[in-house]
Amino acid sequence: MQVLLTGATGFLGRRVLRELVDEGCAVRCAVRPGSDVRSLRQFVGSRRWRCAETVNGQLSSTDHCRELVRGCDVVYHAAAALSGSASNLVMSSVVPTRNLMNAASEEGVSRFVLVSSLGVYGSQKLRRNELLDEDCPVDPAGHLRDPYTYSKILQEEIAWEISQQQELPLVVVRPGVIFGDERGALSHRVGLQLGGLMLRMGGRQRVPFTYVENCAEAVKLAGLNGGIDGQIFNVVDDDLPTGRQVLRRYRKAGRKLRVVGIPQFAMNWLARFNEWYSEKTEQQIPPVLTRYRVQAMWKPLQYSNDRAKQQLGWHPSTSFDEAFERTMAFGVRG
Amino acid sequence: MTEKRIKVGLVGCGQIADAHLQQIRRIPWADPVAVCDLEPLLARQAAERFEIPGQFSSLAEMLEQSQPDVVHITTPVESHRPLAMQLLESGVHVYVEKPFTVDANEARDVLDCARHNDRLVCLGHDQLFDPAWLECRERIDAGEIGDVQHVESVLGYPLHGPFGMQVIADSDHWVRRLPGGLFQNTISHPLYRITELLPDAEPELQATWLSRFNDVPFPTELRVHLRGELVTGSLLFTSSTKPCHRLTRIYGTAGSLEVDLNSQLIRADIVGRYPGAFAKIEEPWRRVRESTANLARNMHRFWKGELHYFEGMKRTFLKFYEAVRDGAESPIGYDEMIRVTQIMDGIFDECRRGDAERAERKRHRRHTQTDVSEESMAGSEVRSG
Repeated sequence: MQVLLTGATGFLGRRVLRELVDEGCAVRCAVRPGSDVRSLRQFVGSRRWRCAETVNGQLSSTDHCRELVRGCDVVYHAAAALSGSASNLVMSSVVPTRNLMNAASEEGVSRFVLVSSLGVYGSQKLRRNELLDEDCPVDPAGHLRDPYTYSKILQEEIAWEISQQQELPLVVVRPGVIFGDERGALSHRVGLQLGGLMLRMGGRQRVPFTYVENCAEAVKLAGLNGGIDGQIFNVVDDDLPTGRQVLRRYRKAGRKLRVVGIPQFAMNWLARFNEWYSEKTEQQIPPVLTRYRVQAMWKPLQYSNDRAKQQLGWHPSTSFDEAFERTMAFGVRG
Repeated sequence: MTEKRIKVGLVGCGQIADAHLQQIRRIPWADPVAVCDLEPLLARQAAERFEIPGQFSSLAEMLEQSQPDVVHITTPVESHRPLAMQLLESGVHVYVEKPFTVDANEARDVLDCARHNDRLVCLGHDQLFDPAWLECRERIDAGEIGDVQHVESVLGYPLHGPFGMQVIADSDHWVRRLPGGLFQNTISHPLYRITELLPDAEPELQATWLSRFNDVPFPTELRVHLRGELVTGSLLFTSSTKPCHRLTRIYGTAGSLEVDLNSQLIRADIVGRYPGAFAKIEEPWRRVRESTANLARNMHRFWKGELHYFEGMKRTFLKFYEAVRDGAESPIGYDEMIRVTQIMDGIFDECRRGDAERAERKRHRRHTQTDVSEESMAGSEVRSG
């Protein structure tokens, strides 16, 4: 099977590449000029590299995208910018998705797999400790979220639109917080970095982690399993730890962290103050912490991976304990 | 009396548009009514995030439906001239983000068009209205450092930031198509901080650009020297040093002033009153007092909510809108717009000339070496023969 993979040099993409090659796929990797292809080659190993090819992956034009997808059965779109202004994120994540999907539709690709994010849900509407699964609606006011989440919400909206209009089979994977070796596990869901301090947000809520190797396997399956077109899959591991437990484990692993805990009840007050101050000073300090974002990011919820298990046949093969140990052994802080 | 409100539109919804929209919203009598971008998704994100009623991918439609009084152009520079002229001819006043145009000829076209249509143009030389710069100017005008002799201006550029990475990754990025590449998009700011104090119409200049990164296929460093009749200037653009400075140091006959726009600090160097060892106490003491004054001023401004990164931009908008409302002149003089653009043209010409000369010298050296080695081979053949 010939597949196209975008974002192959990224944290998740390089593992997806490994999984796909092991599955016997021929993988065309669309990489941006200047990407570190040598490191990718080292990562996947020379044996697997024989089944992979790298091509110029500038996704800003549909014509170029058409050349990329030509002859491919499945497109895995894992490329996404993680930071920057909203406009940059739209240009580097949303526009390429539209171009690639239009091209995939024209070239008769049989499935398009989009790697989205668990952050797209409008979990504000859920009650505390309620279950967040694939039936929960997407946040209707994405522009009130952080630029990255906004770009993912917009990206998915466009993807579903194109899929319906052009009858392009689409499968969306929504991973939680992807952690692992070179990235560590200190995500915003655990706390916010402020200078040398870590502001632990809440601490008792479960963090929807997924170990990068587990997640890569789920992404692979989303392109290969039959009968799942039009489906969404949340990808989170089993036995999710709380933010407090993660920080405790960091300390146990010998990492020095200066943590200030912000209790759940105080987050709303802080957010209210941030909003008030920001408005009063015409955004001298931007409203980074808003009540809307607090609800979306740090509300205690239950997470389900049942659909991925049932329909993808996926099981997180590495437990959180083992994954965390590997991550710590890799020796990267945060 | 109710204040006349100004309806503002914006074309080009990239990164700098965010700063514009945020600052426009700070002006109580300015209403951002519409945004426009060829890429509808970009227009949409700007409209949603800044709660702007109109979003368009056609400029003509925006003008017809939203009828703005002023339109900000925040598109890539190659489109500034045609867009500005289209807007001016439609009877709209225009604010153009720096750099003004691709070259000075285009700048003249735009300004002629503005005069012909009796509309105003303002160029984004907004750091001239930054509070720290304004205070520095006041102190210079009050004679604190005597007559200005030399101006040094520094711009540190985060090449590996989100925007820089896009420029590096995309060989067809609009920045890379400019005659002055990366520099053309950014050096207006440090340059007009020099020309503000260097009045010559056509100062002599020397310039060179160079690369510091193996993975970046275009020049990333620029050095410029300007020589006017009474004042000289030097410009340092660097993307290889940290932190990313926005500094200007002005040397005068009685002392010097340094203005740091990032931290909103002004530092003075003046001739001490005490001799020898006493001077070594006097100077640190003076610096302590100066730092205390800077701290107090910044804390006061923080309290008043005035420490905005783009405070100068807001003040420039305000002055421009007032000029539009009152029928006054643009806050940035038209001659200055042309002069800065012309100096930039000169800088890039000079850099290219240097490149050509270096390439020629290299070629010459290679030829000479080849000749020498051929001669020595011929010599050895003669000897062995």
